[in-house]
Amino acid sequence: MPRLLAHLLLLLALLAAPLRAADEEQDEPAPELAAPPPDRARLVAALLAPAAEQVAAVRALVGAEDAAIEPVLTAWRAGELFLVPLPDGTRVPATLAPAAAHAPGAAPDQLVALAVADGRPILAPASTADSPEPNVRNTNIAPAPLLIASRQLRPLDTSAPLRRAIRDVLEVAGVSDPRPHVRRESIARIGQSHKTEHLPLLLARLEVEKSSVVLRTLREAVALLRLSDPDPAVRAEAFVTLGDVRSLIAAARFKEALALPVGDPSAPSAADAVGMRRSLQRIEGHWARVNFAGNLFRGLSAGSVLLLIALGLAITFGLMGVINMAHGELMVVGAYATFVTQNIFVSVFGAGSAGFHYYFVAALPAAFVSAALVGLVIERSVIQFLYKRPLESLLATWGVSLALQQTFRLIFGPANVQINAPSWLQGGATVADVAFAYNRLFVIGFAALVVFGVWLVLNRTPLGLLVRAVMQNRQMASCIGVRTTRVNMMTFAFGSGLAGLAGACLAQLGNVGPSMGQLHIIDSFMVVVSGGVGNILGTVFAALGIGTVDQVLQPVLGPVMGKILVLFAIILFLQWRPGGLFPTRSRSLD
Amino acid sequence: MLKKLSQTLAAGALALGALSATATRIQAQDTVKVGVLHSLSGTMAISETSLRDILLFTFDEINAKGGVLGKKIEPVVVDGASNWPLFAEKAKQLLEQDKVAVTFGCWTSVSRKSVLPVYEQNNGLLFYPVQYEGEELSKNIFYTAEAVNQQATPGVDYLLGELERKKFYLLGSDYVYPRTTNLVLKEYLASKGVPAANIREVYTPFGHTDYQQIVAEIKQFAATGDACVVSTLNGDTNVPFFRELANAGIKSEDCPVMSFSVSEDEFRGLPTKDLVGHLGAWSYFMSIDTPANDKFKKDFFAWLEKSTVPGIEKKGRVTNSPMVLSYIGVYLWKAAVEKAGSFEVDKVREALYGATFAGPGGQYTVQKNHHVTKNVYIGETLADGQFKILKAYENVYGEPFLKGTFK
Repeated sequence: MPRLLAHLLLLLALLAAPLRAADEEQDEPAPELAAPPPDRARLVAALLAPAAEQVAAVRALVGAEDAAIEPVLTAWRAGELFLVPLPDGTRVPATLAPAAAHAPGAAPDQLVALAVADGRPILAPASTADSPEPNVRNTNIAPAPLLIASRQLRPLDTSAPLRRAIRDVLEVAGVSDPRPHVRRESIARIGQSHKTEHLPLLLARLEVEKSSVVLRTLREAVALLRLSDPDPAVRAEAFVTLGDVRSLIAAARFKEALALPVGDPSAPSAADAVGMRRSLQRIEGHWARVNFAGNLFRGLSAGSVLLLIALGLAITFGLMGVINMAHGELMVVGAYATFVTQNIFVSVFGAGSAGFHYYFVAALPAAFVSAALVGLVIERSVIQFLYKRPLESLLATWGVSLALQQTFRLIFGPANVQINAPSWLQGGATVADVAFAYNRLFVIGFAALVVFGVWLVLNRTPLGLLVRAVMQNRQMASCIGVRTTRVNMMTFAFGSGLAGLAGACLAQLGNVGPSMGQLHIIDSFMVVVSGGVGNILGTVFAALGIGTVDQVLQPVLGPVMGKILVLFAIILFLQWRPGGLFPTRSRSLD
Repeated sequence: MLKKLSQTLAAGALALGALSATATRIQAQDTVKVGVLHSLSGTMAISETSLRDILLFTFDEINAKGGVLGKKIEPVVVDGASNWPLFAEKAKQLLEQDKVAVTFGCWTSVSRKSVLPVYEQNNGLLFYPVQYEGEELSKNIFYTAEAVNQQATPGVDYLLGELERKKFYLLGSDYVYPRTTNLVLKEYLASKGVPAANIREVYTPFGHTDYQQIVAEIKQFAATGDACVVSTLNGDTNVPFFRELANAGIKSEDCPVMSFSVSEDEFRGLPTKDLVGHLGAWSYFMSIDTPANDKFKKDFFAWLEKSTVPGIEKKGRVTNSPMVLSYIGVYLWKAAVEKAGSFEVDKVREALYGATFAGPGGQYTVQKNHHVTKNVYIGETLADGQFKILKAYENVYGEPFLKGTFK
């Protein structure tokens, strides 16, 4: 819905643009202008003031109503404001904009100066003589905008105190900005700043604020400023409010204050300390719950990634018994298929168009089919001769993986390729302070779907029946008339296709390059082995278990130690249960 | 008959041998051999091939203007193949077999450490162009690279001063450069009054792809609004990190990320959209707006266009700090050779002290401690993979030994 609105707005803006341009053209022959509004005049004066007086002049702008002040000050702070010298010796503060919109026929690197006073382009002097300023070119078409090549002007300087003054003015202006995120940021900054003089401003805003997100920040900011109130009752109320809004800033401040030694002049009073402790307890309790829920979600998502990359291997290695070292490269095939699909969509629909954002939907089947085809070729050319010799299959598939990597380098180059996430996989939602990234949610849902699909294929289709028969006893199945070579071929292609799907998902999370498969091959074997070779259910549980343990250990031990500990735990686990989580029991002696 | 034929053949071969011998002697008088020691294959090839390209360009540029001391530069390009012991072997070959006057090369610190004893034994001369962690000084190596105080400490100064940050999340890949840099930075921050409680230090393994947990941690770390991330994450691990950061809704205004290992060249493989507004610190940015830089870029791209080096990439090329530091290294060496009037390593070394060159990033001056005084720039990432320069620190003196100096 918001996107629809955005499109509508864009459409309106596009329609309005020519009209505005027409307006400007009509205006141009009349250069004499009405005097700028008083606030604007003060702003221009501040810009032209000597450096020593600028800070005071800018601070005097606090609370000014003029909407032009904010963009001008923002530009000044960012070093994008210039004093344009005119032939008569005066200097006019202005921002620069590409010339194309204002002066048709201008070179692409030329700019026009938009005067701060009225927002219109500064016009070139009417005379046809060359401008006395050597760096300002006259276009000889009066009255045309003054054209400036980039680099001719140096931006108006700012100093650190001046930037602070600008920021203060912007903060106060931001409190009543129509955009909620600007309001929220400004209010949050004031809350952190100890500037109690802005308390009345925030209280006034509290009366009219509607957005619940901004309201929470507003309450937090007010309470934070009230922490230094002389009245203990007001402070006590602030402690409670800060506990209510689960303020992390307050928690940091309380911890700092409570850690002060007794007798320190800035240490809190006994009553304050009690209030702080109570509030701190509530805040920390809340964030501990947030982190717990967050860890579960992150564990589920990390587990889903592991599950996706291991599922294909659970079939080719688990069911078929082929130690397929080229499994990682089959994922890379899927990832490059996604890249190619993206490029096709870019050339058909154009980058950033609405159609482009659905390329990923087409990329998934493309990844499956291309990886399955590559798998089919590998099976026919190498693996079919090695079903009875698993160790040779290890070496042969490793060779295949090296050959495939080099092929990727030849086709796509040694550098990583860029894959842009479709808009619907970007960003995330925050529910009760737990962040859910959309791409992670997608991976979890997709992994569940793929597991369900695999279960359906294996248990509810004739192919699945044949697969299970052949995998249990190849000779016996062959005896009763199953075309085992064909089933082998189909099963290996299916497992490879699943690897391709995993590659397409990984392309949304990380890098796509020729050696990306190497990163994931160890993980996928780890999952399949600890889940129990030959059992899909074991793979599911092992993936989710390893993912969750990894994510829970990470904040405590750091990513490096966490990973080492997970590997160590798996070794111990396999010592205890060599068959994995769900070992396959069979009567055959092998 | 047969005998006669073999005699003729032998005589012919002799004559041919004599001819080619004189040919090489004539050539040897007119040229000076210069080594180029970079990985042209393996994992580091993506970064290091650019340095070979810029060096070949520089040699052609110098040769077109008459060479060094009237001699044309004859490059001897060898491939370290991202294999550190092989670097030492190739260095030995350059020094003992080819007898090069100087070598330009190495990217990773471990490759430099591997060739260092070879250069010291043979009294060779090596120019090293890539930002590094310091704590090293060899009389046979000149470090045109940024030392920690020419990149990391100005970067942190900017975060402390201009952006008024008070909490620092030091995130790096798990190897020597990030760990040493962060060690120095922690001392530096402590000397600036940042309490240890406001500093977090986290390392991730090479090829780490899951930054969910770290980003969740950063989000709470940055909730106070005065935090920043100082990243020494290496290479393509930046992709999952910045993607996760963008998805978590952490913007550069809330928590800017200052990266020390991401330059224009790395942006070619990164989704730049996710990095917009985040910061970088280098001694050169491609966007530096000076005539010297314009000329450098124009000449390099024109050279690329005409280049016949096999397999050279011609499309989408950029210039970055390690490339420029390779480029100025050649010119500093040339200036020293001309001052010394000789290619002899000991004389050139003496002449290098105080040698200056006005290059694309400003003025470069070789110091007595084998490092180079240069400008340092802080830049903000733009959507097109370029940096907008926010601040310049001029003529920063390179100091390799920083551990324990900030107390």
